[in-house]
Amino acid sequence: METGRVIDDLGAAVMDESFPEVDLALRRGRHIDRDDATWYAFLLDAQAVLETFYRRFGCELVHKSDGYFYLLPVTDQLGKRQLSVPEMLVGQALALLYLDPRTVQSGGVVTRDDVLAHLAGVMGTDGLMRALNPKKRRLDERVAQETVRARVAEGLRKLASSGFIELLEGDSLRLRSALMRFAEPVRGSEAPAEALAKLVAKGEVMLEPEFDADPDADQDFASESPDAPAPESAPEARVPFDDHDDLPWDEPDPGTPTDEEHE
Amino acid sequence: MIGSHPFQDRQRSVTASERDPKQVLALLAEQKLSLELSTLDLCFMTLLALKAEQLNLSAFGEEQLGDAFEQVCLALEPETENVKARATHALRRLRDQRLLARVDGAGVRRAGEYALTRLATGIVDFYVHSEPLTRESLTLLSRTLMLSLAEILSAAREARDPETWQARVIAPLRITVSDLVRGIEARQRGLDLEQEDFQRRISQLLSADWFGSIEQCQELLESTASTLRELNEVLLRSSHELQALLQDLLGVVTADDAGTDPDNERERAVLHVVEQVDRIGAWGQSRQQAWTEYYEYVHRYLQDVVRFDPARALTERLKKLLLAREGRASSLTLARAPALGGLREVKPPENPPPVRRPKRETEAEPEDRPVAPDPDQLMTERLEALLAEGVTELSERTQRMTEGLPESERFVAAGRIAKLLARITRPLARGERPWVAVDQNLAIEQWQVPEKRSV
Repeated sequence: METGRVIDDLGAAVMDESFPEVDLALRRGRHIDRDDATWYAFLLDAQAVLETFYRRFGCELVHKSDGYFYLLPVTDQLGKRQLSVPEMLVGQALALLYLDPRTVQSGGVVTRDDVLAHLAGVMGTDGLMRALNPKKRRLDERVAQETVRARVAEGLRKLASSGFIELLEGDSLRLRSALMRFAEPVRGSEAPAEALAKLVAKGEVMLEPEFDADPDADQDFASESPDAPAPESAPEARVPFDDHDDLPWDEPDPGTPTDEEHE
Repeated sequence: MIGSHPFQDRQRSVTASERDPKQVLALLAEQKLSLELSTLDLCFMTLLALKAEQLNLSAFGEEQLGDAFEQVCLALEPETENVKARATHALRRLRDQRLLARVDGAGVRRAGEYALTRLATGIVDFYVHSEPLTRESLTLLSRTLMLSLAEILSAAREARDPETWQARVIAPLRITVSDLVRGIEARQRGLDLEQEDFQRRISQLLSADWFGSIEQCQELLESTASTLRELNEVLLRSSHELQALLQDLLGVVTADDAGTDPDNERERAVLHVVEQVDRIGAWGQSRQQAWTEYYEYVHRYLQDVVRFDPARALTERLKKLLLAREGRASSLTLARAPALGGLREVKPPENPPPVRRPKRETEAEPEDRPVAPDPDQLMTERLEALLAEGVTELSERTQRMTEGLPESERFVAAGRIAKLLARITRPLARGERPWVAVDQNLAIEQWQVPEKRSV
């Protein structure tokens, strides 16, 4: 992948024709892997000078052995964001699919249905619906499932804009090596809690994410990839009958007052 | 079920590449073509094809067909009853679908002889004789193709009359050369199927023996990669040589085409082969590209995933993390610099003009109008005229002067008449001035005036 040249001068790196696009992509949280052949080769060539360059902005240019680069903000100088709960869940499911030998048959290409099925298989349908409808005390099955589909679709779109996956034509998507970031807490031999604590200390991970982090990310990423699908409206807006459905999917505990009683 | 061949009448004049897809679909729909084959039927056809090949049989008698069907039934469904009746039904099904044809033409005179049709042998070949493309078969086929084309080229150079063109150029191009090209394409499709199987095998190997299958997977990858590489080299070389021959042939065909081939049949035949050869070359390139991507992906997978996790524990640990509270309570950090603001050059708006009331002509030009006559004067003149006529009673004057006026104006006019009359003359003084009616609604005090004007 390396071109054989070593860019050891920051001026030369900045003057490289790949620099503007790579720089913008990294600053917007994009992961650059070997599938982005030209960008990846440039980063390999200019890694040393760019690491110093980005450190001045309070960021680390991280290169993982799985074959991808990304920019990790260590301070608030540049701006940072946290993945939302749906993005994290979808990302972890995609990482599981990436590890699954069955996806080798298709060369790492899976469908949206595969992702949903895998999530439901691992977490259980009920668990998945509860995880993606955390504010609901009573869930209507149909509405909750529609919410799940909407949130997963939104998560996939955002993960694609961050370079974790590549959306292909139709319903398919290609898994990319950056998905291994979701497996970082369990890759070492230590307990996940310890590994998480280390990642938190490094600034790789934050605890207690918001359910809908980055509400205005659409605007930021819209300018980055013109081919990306048009930003969808917020998931809540597309979920019909979101509140107060009269079709109880599961009954609350007998001792717990219902929403109506509160009102 | 398949009926008569929808293109039977057209095949002579229309080549496959020139068929209009809409027309083809319409014909197929009109014929209501369909195929319905059970496993038993397929096995029966396969057994017949194998027997024909092993025993060098060109056709089967009815008894032989019955025996073959019985063999299939014994192998697949040993408990089948009424085998003969089922054989009869199976034969009818195959004949209805044009998979089996009677070839003896003896009709009712004796039991018939039957042979598998091209459709049936094609189906059997797909399942049994599917031969993938190999370096040897490709080399052999492409050499034969080149020899045939060289022969056709020399024949084309010598051809003088349409019959020779037809017999030694067009027919070999349409049959010999096209069949050879189709042979290569069929093997290419076989190789595609093999690739699909191969990808499935790698996946199965990894699923069955995670870390232990690395070497096997790599061997499979390498062997397939080298096969594809070799094939691509042969394809590249052969297609270049074939295209050069075809270009020469096209040159001869177009040079000789001085009105002896009004339909451009020769040129179309050559161009059809050119298209086929192009397709063969394109297949090689696209498969090589797809394979290179797949090869890199699997290599990375083996390197980054399998070798790093020999016990395949990562998947389980990640699943646990996904279910655990810690997993959901953590979130990855990404850079998110605000988008660079590209400032536009702003052109300030020009100062708006001061607010002004639109100018308007306030004074209109005076209008020339004729001076209206004084109504009192008019009335006085009229009274004087009546006086001159000798009308001395006020009631009569009033009646004559107000008879043309509207009802509402008469009362006022009567008052004015009396007033003006008093000016121009003096009424006679009398003891009694009776009230008399001027009309239905008006009554006045009667004055008498002297006939002569008093002033």
